[in-house]
Amino acid sequence: MPRYSGIERKQARWGLIFVAPAMLFFAVFSYYPILNAFATSFFNKRALSKAPPRFIGLDNYLRLFSLKTAGNELSFYNSLRSTAIFTVGTFVPLLVLSLLAAALIASLDGKRAKRALQVAYYTPAVLSSVVAATIWMLIFDPRGLANQWLNGLLGLTGVDHLWLVDRSMEQLSTMIIYFWKYIGYFVILFITGLSSIPPTIYEAARIDGAGKLQVFGRITLPLLKPTVVMVSIMSMLQCLKTFSTQYMLYTNGAPRGPINVITFNIYVTGIQEQYLGRASAMSVVLFVVMLFFTWFQFRLSKADDVEY
Amino acid sequence: MRIGKIAARAALALLLAFTVMPLLFMVTASLMSSREIMSMPYPWIPSSLHYENFVKAVRGNDGNFIYLRNILNSLIAATAVAASTVLLASSAGYGLAKFRFKGRMALFMLIMATMMIPFEAIMIPLYMVAMKLRIQNSHVGLILPFLVSAFGVFQMRQYLTTFPVEFLDAARVDGMGELGIFWRIVFPNCKPVIATLAVIAFRGQWDNLLWPLLVSQSDEMKTIPQYISTFVQERSTDQGALMAAALIASVPMLLMFMSLTRYFIGGSSVYESRKG
Repeated sequence: MPRYSGIERKQARWGLIFVAPAMLFFAVFSYYPILNAFATSFFNKRALSKAPPRFIGLDNYLRLFSLKTAGNELSFYNSLRSTAIFTVGTFVPLLVLSLLAAALIASLDGKRAKRALQVAYYTPAVLSSVVAATIWMLIFDPRGLANQWLNGLLGLTGVDHLWLVDRSMEQLSTMIIYFWKYIGYFVILFITGLSSIPPTIYEAARIDGAGKLQVFGRITLPLLKPTVVMVSIMSMLQCLKTFSTQYMLYTNGAPRGPINVITFNIYVTGIQEQYLGRASAMSVVLFVVMLFFTWFQFRLSKADDVEY
Repeated sequence: MRIGKIAARAALALLLAFTVMPLLFMVTASLMSSREIMSMPYPWIPSSLHYENFVKAVRGNDGNFIYLRNILNSLIAATAVAASTVLLASSAGYGLAKFRFKGRMALFMLIMATMMIPFEAIMIPLYMVAMKLRIQNSHVGLILPFLVSAFGVFQMRQYLTTFPVEFLDAARVDGMGELGIFWRIVFPNCKPVIATLAVIAFRGQWDNLLWPLLVSQSDEMKTIPQYISTFVQERSTDQGALMAAALIASVPMLLMFMSLTRYFIGGSSVYESRKG
């Protein structure tokens, strides 16, 4: 290897100078905190206590996963359960329906109509989560639109479906709010994915006499697999981090148990109750779960990269 | 027209109704009296325009117009985060894309790895850092943990990898300094990515509820999402005012969306390049 000349050394220095500010930021605001979370999770630490934190080994984790608490509505077990229910209940419909909508939009003829639909579907994503939750809380009001629509659909009159009161309905409500906010976002991801499939493939299929459904099942879906994998993991990771919707519903009187997702539990335990050690242990669990899914995505998308 | 085509259009129309109706509800309800909003069936067209909803929303529960302060806080935080993200990400992306130095790949991987650290998992330590630095209830506190994102660095690096080196070398030959090259040649030539990154960063902070809940507990330092969540608790029966407050919070984003649509929609499709 040739020795660095003066110019090259100067270049190397400038490269480092340009990267340094961002690197410094990540060291202080990403790496330090995650290491700190690991460390704190082994201590009994209270935010306002003057006593030094006490090392308690794995006690925080044992407490989180202690079977004795499993029946408790506000236990970590229950948080894992509500997070899983919310995640699966949100990302599966999001994935399926956004893919379907994208395929249908792609089949439209008018360029203008395509564009207008995308923009309209996307608009809720522009609003903040808090605003979305506020709108829907009024819709879910006993006298609100949700009851009117559902009763109209089912041919009932004056039935209250307890959207924000009943335990399962409350979970369904958070899913609907989230679905509403993000459907357009995922439609656009899929439209981008669809548009990267070369049209010549479709023409060839049509000449060979393939029907529309056949084309979708045999050509579009397999070629779209990388996008499907990416979007599903992305939406899953996003759902695992949900907070604002649950926070809004709870602070307005909905029961906490069914929507006590992990992030909400971390917030209550760490910030309101000031159990920093225990909240850190929950954070580490959340981190590990998300790390697993990220790794999973990596594996999947590596395995089936499509070449056109 | 075949049945399939009709079914397809009906499905799209149904989804359209689902996404648009709540928005229409917000806009129309913001001009109605609470009584009208809660009448069944919902009338959709205000019988008379109740502008006072907006006055109530801005005056707030205590009549101190704190909402205006909170809107300003959100604007400051979101703008600052957008600016710093753009600046730091383009600088780092430029360094990683256009200079050769030992450990360049390692640095890049280190930065990319932070994408796997969700904010929600490090908010407790960050909260402790904020307490130690005594930056609670300040704009600095709102902004500091979001100065730059790994995603931003990634985008800038990808974009700049294809940037023609000849421009840079020509400028060097002309005796331009490295900072000058970055600021006057590289930076102005990244406009599309920069706009996309700025939009993503801005809306991220506009939407942020969790971090302000941790660091901004005084009323003057709250942000829009916090104001709305408190207002909803205090005024849960004044639905018209609630929708007015929600609409006010959304107008800046809606205006941005209308004028910069392609950066929003393009912004979500940039994620495409993230796969693998």
